[in-house]
Amino acid sequence: MGSSHSMSEEIQELAEKTGFTSEQIEHLHRRFKQLSGDQPTIRKEHFDNIPDLEFNPIRSKIVHAFFDKRNLRQESDGLADEINFEDFLTIMSYFRPIEMNMDEERLDHFRKEKLKFLFHMYDSDHDGKITLQEYRNVVEELLSGNPHLEKESARSIADGAMMEAASICVGQMEPDQVYEGITFEDFLKMWQGIDIETKMHVRFLNMETIAQCH
Amino acid sequence: MEAWGAAATVALSVWLALVLGLILLPSVIGVSLGISELYMTVLVKTLEWATRRIEKGVKKQQARMLKDSASNGIIQRVNTTMEKEIASLHRADFELSDIFYFCRKGFEAIVEDEVTQRFSSEELVSWNLLTRTNVNFQYISLRLTIVWVIGVLVRYCLLLPLRLTLATIGIHSMIVGTTLVGCLPNGSIKDWLSELVHLTCSRILVRALSGTIHYHNKENKPQKGGICVANHTSPIDVIILTNDGCYAMVGQAHGGLMGVIQRATVKACPHVWFERSEVKDRHLVMKRLKEHVADKNKLPILIFPEGTCINNTSVMMFKKGSFEIGGTIYPVAIKYDPQFGDAFWNSSKYNAVSYLLRLMTSWAIVCNVWYLPPMVREEGEDAVQFANRVKSAIALQGGLTELPWDGGLKRAKVKETFKEEQQKNYSKMIVGNGSSGNLSSGTEPD
Repeated sequence: MGSSHSMSEEIQELAEKTGFTSEQIEHLHRRFKQLSGDQPTIRKEHFDNIPDLEFNPIRSKIVHAFFDKRNLRQESDGLADEINFEDFLTIMSYFRPIEMNMDEERLDHFRKEKLKFLFHMYDSDHDGKITLQEYRNVVEELLSGNPHLEKESARSIADGAMMEAASICVGQMEPDQVYEGITFEDFLKMWQGIDIETKMHVRFLNMETIAQCH
Repeated sequence: MEAWGAAATVALSVWLALVLGLILLPSVIGVSLGISELYMTVLVKTLEWATRRIEKGVKKQQARMLKDSASNGIIQRVNTTMEKEIASLHRADFELSDIFYFCRKGFEAIVEDEVTQRFSSEELVSWNLLTRTNVNFQYISLRLTIVWVIGVLVRYCLLLPLRLTLATIGIHSMIVGTTLVGCLPNGSIKDWLSELVHLTCSRILVRALSGTIHYHNKENKPQKGGICVANHTSPIDVIILTNDGCYAMVGQAHGGLMGVIQRATVKACPHVWFERSEVKDRHLVMKRLKEHVADKNKLPILIFPEGTCINNTSVMMFKKGSFEIGGTIYPVAIKYDPQFGDAFWNSSKYNAVSYLLRLMTSWAIVCNVWYLPPMVREEGEDAVQFANRVKSAIALQGGLTELPWDGGLKRAKVKETFKEEQQKNYSKMIVGNGSSGNLSSGTEPD
């Protein structure tokens, strides 16, 4: 029936760390409890209960991203087995929209964070490079539902796209030069000039602004 | 001791006499004495007062939040289709950015998904003085707490025994009445008596729940030989509908008390109860229903095509089986008012007994029932389309959202075929565009 003191202190802390408002955190907390079945941590299996998510071709990559230690800002590498509410919020904060009053530096940092998240999604072996094989992996996953599409076509799409990426990042290559893979800096280069902030966010409703609209 | 015993007997008989006179007799005739209406007016006034107190007692900011936390979403979803979204990002055929769309959709689904929230009770805008709905609300003032305590006393000590008495009487008379009527030979007298018994018992049971039901558009009431179709929120939907007319019910044969009721009622009136093994045999089910519908003298069948209880904020997929039988469909929309009591049965959280107890300790069950004009399957329309058409009509009338999802998702997972649809769409887009582009460039990697 109401929040005790320690809860609201925790919420304040989380609000500062992740940038969500306290109402949003309470809402997300309820969602967290719903997903985890009232337990303090979530495991991969808990994401199986979301019907909307089942449709998504890159579902496994998205769920994977929640447990990826690099996204959780932990020093170590690899995958966590389970995440608690704070980790959940940390991952969610990658999808916060940009705020109007952000200065250049923060904006840039924000953008980098989002791109880093995306980079980690592609780079499944955590070696800091998106190799051709990993790229092919993603394309195949996205196109895997189509029975008419042969594996070869999926491959050549990936190869073609990789070629283009190489040409942006490295320029003209010598005939015997081997392109190892897209590093994070190359990745950033590819996105220059494209406005990803509006594409990669989930707009959380701000409760107060709605009330004024009535 | 004897004095106590005598006093108790007198009290009990007075109590029963009151119940008989004020509630049971009017039920038989179908007349209302206005006691429920009085109760409801008092209740509404009290709850309004409570709401005003809450809004005054809480800071203005938070009060606005109370209003909006009832909205069914925390996210504003951008409803562009996959095609538009990816096309706007495209410079070439496949881009790293294509992953954005799916990524974002995935995240939105994780934060909030339309389906699982339908399987838990609706949150209220303002507190209705029941602890069970007290998710967001905090201690406000002493007066409010006192009113709440009085409410608890009234509900548990006054209303609950009354309702339990009525419910017991109702169920007993249903069983006894229908068994007696079942002994008569088939004929119009039997039908008339069976109708009387069913109606009386339904009315008693509705009063047992302090139900206030408003029926709209009674001219569209289901006729004999038709099929009545409604959205499903709880087992008491049946009682709500039979309060106003007689139906032939369709369902699985249960054991226990339900089974006794089922066996008794089927003697008086041709309900269709299936054994569990038979439910699996769809053709047998269809055959029996078709036979029933073909006979114009038989009562309309009552079916709930969703197949499971939904929390009354939305209407989920209607299973096509009911719509393949033929005949005229009479859609009915049922919408409960959650302010007075939550009728939704969350079967994973509460078992039958605790559900009934919660029902009987709520303030009241208030609902609106709309009878919609009859519909028939049109030329060239298959059962699924027809089912969706009926579903839209019901959702529109009842003010519920419409979802294409299957209520069976409460317990099962999404079918593989649906998953592949999305992937097929995306790949069609990519490969369709890329036919002349990258595929022919022949740049083989090393």
